[in-house]
Amino acid sequence: MKKFKWLKPVLIAFTATAVIGLAVVAYLLNMPHRDIQSSQTDYAISANLLVEEFLASSDTAYEKYLDEAGESKILEVEGEVYEISKDFNEQTVVLLKTTDKEAGVSCTFLPSEIDFGQHLKVGQKIKVKGVIRSGANYDADLEMYEHVIMEKCDLVTNI
Amino acid sequence: MKTKSIVLVASFIMLISAAFVSPFEKLVSQKTHISFFSSTPVEDITADNYKATSTLDTSTGDLVFSVPMQSFEFEKALMQKHYNGKDFLDTKSFPKSKFVGKITNLDQVDFTKDGTYEASVSGEMTIKGVTNSVDEKGTILVKGGRVAAESTFDLTLADYGINFKNGKPASNIAKTIEITFKGEY
Repeated sequence: MKKFKWLKPVLIAFTATAVIGLAVVAYLLNMPHRDIQSSQTDYAISANLLVEEFLASSDTAYEKYLDEAGESKILEVEGEVYEISKDFNEQTVVLLKTTDKEAGVSCTFLPSEIDFGQHLKVGQKIKVKGVIRSGANYDADLEMYEHVIMEKCDLVTNI
Repeated sequence: MKTKSIVLVASFIMLISAAFVSPFEKLVSQKTHISFFSSTPVEDITADNYKATSTLDTSTGDLVFSVPMQSFEFEKALMQKHYNGKDFLDTKSFPKSKFVGKITNLDQVDFTKDGTYEASVSGEMTIKGVTNSVDEKGTILVKGGRVAAESTFDLTLADYGINFKNGKPASNIAKTIEITFKGEY
């Protein structure tokens, strides 16, 4: 029995490594999605300025705002409510745009107890926090401007 | 004399506005849903995107959609990270995918009459900077002056330079995935 004395620490080390390894794999496979609302805001900007940045130089703006792994910048965008709608997933979509501009920021809201369609009014100034997905540009095939797209949004200012 | 000119101007305005509300116009849809489904014996993967923009010109049959690639949501966060990454869709370098095409059997689709029409669509799909010709079938639904479109088709990832030679992706992601598109114009 004595000659197997070395076996104990080896077994312990092996078991520990296996447990840690399995835990890491389990964590990675079930890693939760990033919680946008409780994460820190990267930039605070007005809707018009954000659109301008993309229209002026789309390459520079994409480099600044988008992330390679899809964990793009979290923004607080201030703007005027232009339109309120619902998407196919029953999520509220608020377009921040002023009437004199062709493009704005389209914000898809997280599910909420608040009925934004009732509480928000066209023309109202609001501040929205969310993650950016793509920028604004004129698309020659669509023959129209595309809005900046933000998702997982919520209101920053009280309503 | 004065009334005559007023009548003339009024009828002219009516004519112009009639031309604008005619059913032959470019429709825009920002209420869309695109999903993809990959099935292998190991696992099934789906992702959903509600932020695509599409236009449909009912007079020419021109059909365009532009898809923000980072808006695809997966059930698992790690999958979403991989999907966005350089080896897969490289969404930072190619933030949008696009389809530019035409309804080729426009004579069989009556946008002024309620009904369900089978549409043949052919055009070019650009994903990750690679463009391929596609010919697919879709359904056009006309109801009370509103137009909706639906289509389900297969897409071969290798056609767009998305290859998995080995490892987990090669066994867990199907070589050909099913795309479903739905839009309300």
